[in-house]
Amino acid sequence: MLLRLLDTKIPKKTKKIPYSSLTYCENKKKKKGGTIMKRLVCLCSLTAFLVLCILVAPSFSQKTAKGPYVIGGIFPLTGYLSWLGEYKKKGSELKAELINEAGGVDGTPLKLVVYDDQSSPEQAAKIAQRLISKDGAVFLIGTASVPISGAVASIANKEKVPAIIGSGYEVDPKKDKYVFNTAHKTDFAIARPFEYFKKSGMTKVALLMPIGSLGELGSRLARKYAPSYGITIVGEEKFDIKAPDVTAQLAKLKTLNPSAIFSFCTGEPAALVARNMAQLGMKIPLLVSHGNANPGFLRLVKDIDVPILVPSGRATLPNELPDSDPCKKVIIEFSKRHEQKYGEPANYYSAEMVDAVAIIAEVIKRTGSREGEKLVKGIENLKNFVGMQGVYKFSEDDHHGTALEDMMVLTIKDGKWRLLHR
Amino acid sequence: MNIRRILTNPYLILCLSVLIAPFVFADKSAYVTGVLIFCAVYTILTIGLDLLMGYTGQISVGHASFFAIGAYVSAILTTRYGLSPLGAMASGMVLSGILSWAIGRPVLALKEYYLAMATLAFNEIVISLIIGLEGLTGGASGIRDIPPFAIFGVSFKHHLLYYYLVWLITIFVIVLSRAIVNSPVGRALSAIHGDEIGARAFGIDCTKYKTGIFVIVNVFASLAGSLYAHFIGFIAPDDFQVGTSVSLLVMLYLGGIGTIWGPVIGACFLKILPEITYHFKDYELLVNGLILVFVLIFLPEGLYGTLKKITKRAEG
Amino acid sequence: MSDFSYLVQFFFSGLTSGSIYALIAVSLVIVYRASQLICFSQGEFYVFGALIMASLLMKGIPLLAAFLLSLLSSVIMAGFIQYIVIRRLLKKPIGMLIVMTIAISLALRGFALLIWGRESYVVRPFFQVAPLSFVGATLPSQVFLIMGVTALVLLCLWLFFEKTLIGLAMRACAENPDAASLMGINVHRMSLFAWMWGGAIGAISGMVVAPLLFTQYTSGIMPMVKGFIAMSIGGLTGISGAALGGFLLGLTEAFTVGLVSSRFSDAIVFTILIIVLIFKPSGLFARSQ
Repeated sequence: MLLRLLDTKIPKKTKKIPYSSLTYCENKKKKKGGTIMKRLVCLCSLTAFLVLCILVAPSFSQKTAKGPYVIGGIFPLTGYLSWLGEYKKKGSELKAELINEAGGVDGTPLKLVVYDDQSSPEQAAKIAQRLISKDGAVFLIGTASVPISGAVASIANKEKVPAIIGSGYEVDPKKDKYVFNTAHKTDFAIARPFEYFKKSGMTKVALLMPIGSLGELGSRLARKYAPSYGITIVGEEKFDIKAPDVTAQLAKLKTLNPSAIFSFCTGEPAALVARNMAQLGMKIPLLVSHGNANPGFLRLVKDIDVPILVPSGRATLPNELPDSDPCKKVIIEFSKRHEQKYGEPANYYSAEMVDAVAIIAEVIKRTGSREGEKLVKGIENLKNFVGMQGVYKFSEDDHHGTALEDMMVLTIKDGKWRLLHR
Repeated sequence: MNIRRILTNPYLILCLSVLIAPFVFADKSAYVTGVLIFCAVYTILTIGLDLLMGYTGQISVGHASFFAIGAYVSAILTTRYGLSPLGAMASGMVLSGILSWAIGRPVLALKEYYLAMATLAFNEIVISLIIGLEGLTGGASGIRDIPPFAIFGVSFKHHLLYYYLVWLITIFVIVLSRAIVNSPVGRALSAIHGDEIGARAFGIDCTKYKTGIFVIVNVFASLAGSLYAHFIGFIAPDDFQVGTSVSLLVMLYLGGIGTIWGPVIGACFLKILPEITYHFKDYELLVNGLILVFVLIFLPEGLYGTLKKITKRAEG
Repeated sequence: MSDFSYLVQFFFSGLTSGSIYALIAVSLVIVYRASQLICFSQGEFYVFGALIMASLLMKGIPLLAAFLLSLLSSVIMAGFIQYIVIRRLLKKPIGMLIVMTIAISLALRGFALLIWGRESYVVRPFFQVAPLSFVGATLPSQVFLIMGVTALVLLCLWLFFEKTLIGLAMRACAENPDAASLMGINVHRMSLFAWMWGGAIGAISGMVVAPLLFTQYTSGIMPMVKGFIAMSIGGLTGISGAALGGFLLGLTEAFTVGLVSSRFSDAIVFTILIIVLIFKPSGLFARSQ
């Protein structure tokens, strides 16, 4: 039996004689005269639809010397990173709104234009270019993964437009002059929990890393910081984030008798590791990435009986902060407005982008400029900026601005966050 | 040679469009040429796929494999070993040629569905190796700071210059492909597509032709990969996965399989579409899917096929 | 954990993933046998089944009702798609039909995004039974349910395709639509049935597997890829072959991860697949046709 998968070239000479409905015979008649017309109509309607899309869209060129300050938002709204892209978008949109409510930057409003990078570096690069050339963006914010941040960083440096990203990407100011990062350095997310491990005498840690950029980062940093906290990495296994089961890897690690497992992954894979650990009766602490400091994760690990450690910034648990902490007020006030608008409090992801927008407003105000070079200098001169992530202290050599003390370690009890180590 | 035939000559239309496009959108030309450069790269890829699937009837759900190999070879050789972009690109093409010859022989013996599976598997293997061999490839985080393309020291950093270069190469690929298709080789390929056993009975060495076209097509893909890497400056495995291979298939059918020009339209359409539908935000995915379904139902010859039909009919 | 017990754990791990792959592969093969079409939209039926059930459970609807309602919705949805879209393309080359199913799956995914958003949903295991424990290795109880459902589906389908008139008609349609229609079989209706079957089994797979994984609008992609691979290993011709292929894939993955390397396990498994395809293209368990 010839299964011809690609028949287009050879015309079908044989006509079918179906036993069934009249409609088919009718179609046969229409075929001769009507097809060309039909095709033409369809082609025209398609073109008309697309042209309509272009026309209905907001106006073409935004590059003006006057007018609102355009901030370009590059967030993953579809694809595997979409669940966190949404938090970032909401946070940044609300902050821009609040700033504009208070009169904008010296009377001129901020305009946040957000596009979806579909969790793809190529798409992110295209969007970055679109935001700069078409929408006239003065600043870029967003990017939720290391490869995506890399792609956008290239464009930012090339076009001399500053970008404030929020991911595990480590910014080397010498190479990435125009890039800043409001996310806490991944180093902190490992050093802090390691402090806790040392304090609690859990010195044998096994690594279960996802295949991918997060896993590589986690593994490298774990090995870098282990000696300084007296921790031994007793073994490492890798797993596919789409895998349905990691008990094989956990079984191998179990034989090494670790006091804790470190799995630098976010969301579903982290919850899967926890669930499998519970299944194997491994009731030792599981350290996951700080990306899990969000309400969705609480839902994923409900009913899993394994102590889970999640590093986080202040934004997740502001009420545990002492009143003397300058960030507490900022977080609680913003969170209230966030709850009013979106029905949920702000979280660690929103915080990164909220700070980005706030920093942008501050810097534009101080420098009064739209020029990349001046704006970069402006940020580097910010030495005491109170945000939700911490009190920023930027410099020529430090484009992150935050410090180890800005992170804490949380755990989950009764479906809620609890402070473990500060 | 009447006026109408001259005006609807695809080469003429393409060359004119390529020439004037950046100037139509002068105020944001960097963005527009960027999008069009991607179109060119994917056009080269889809044309290759057309030669393989449309003319020779060999399915590939892993065409992104050699796209990845070309891109990574270029990236690694230029960033780590300081090789010139031209040299790196050539090396990539040679490596792809050799690899596809080696893999082609056993794999192309498979039929249809099994061939599809094997090509998909190969794509996954390439990605898995790219991620696994972190030290060489930067793993999942990718390779950055890939220098702009240059030929014998002449740098193509400026977007307009690179845009014309890339399209020049693409047009060359189109001409070459049409030449292959219209030559005795092309006829042999069609024969293989129609009925392999029959073709063999006529004395056509099927394995030689199938492997040959597989090599050519993958060398094209590698070329596209290098051009891509030097343009975007940063590559990561994310963009070379099976999803991309599947997009190429969609581009192929959208444009019109078996025509060489179909892929040109299909690739450009699919790469430009998001730039139009992004306004739909959350609805973008749904809208894109629906547009594809619409085109496939109502314009089954693909966009190019339909256009051809209409102009032919209008002619007489 | 002793050496032996962790070998058993590898086996259990393989059984867990294998049972999932087997069920998906079976659903793919059924659609193939009924319509000669490799349906790329199958993954979305899987996801819709799971998501609808998850939403109903969250509203407090009892398990059985949620299961049946979700099943019904998926079947209706599949039938609807066939009626609106596929029906027009029945006479087209198969390559185009495959691309069409890809386009449909994109549209469905976009639709799922709009309804359920981007978060992941958790579904509880159907029966709150402790995991099976054997020499220190454990296997979740849901796996038995999955294997049971797979066996039941295999049985029902065998009965259907071999023993009933409609089943016979469907097979005839798949093999040669022209001859079948000459014999008085309504090809359109058969295609509709085949799609509804596909929708039903896809939804059942999704629901039964959901407690082991997490469901999100993009969850349909992985099962599709793995299902295809399982199908290739097991052979397209036999439904039971596909199921065995699924288990073999799961076990191979688990043992490669356990005994060889977790870093290159994907590369190794896919290389094995290519080798199998080259040396025994009709699949390891194919019957001669």
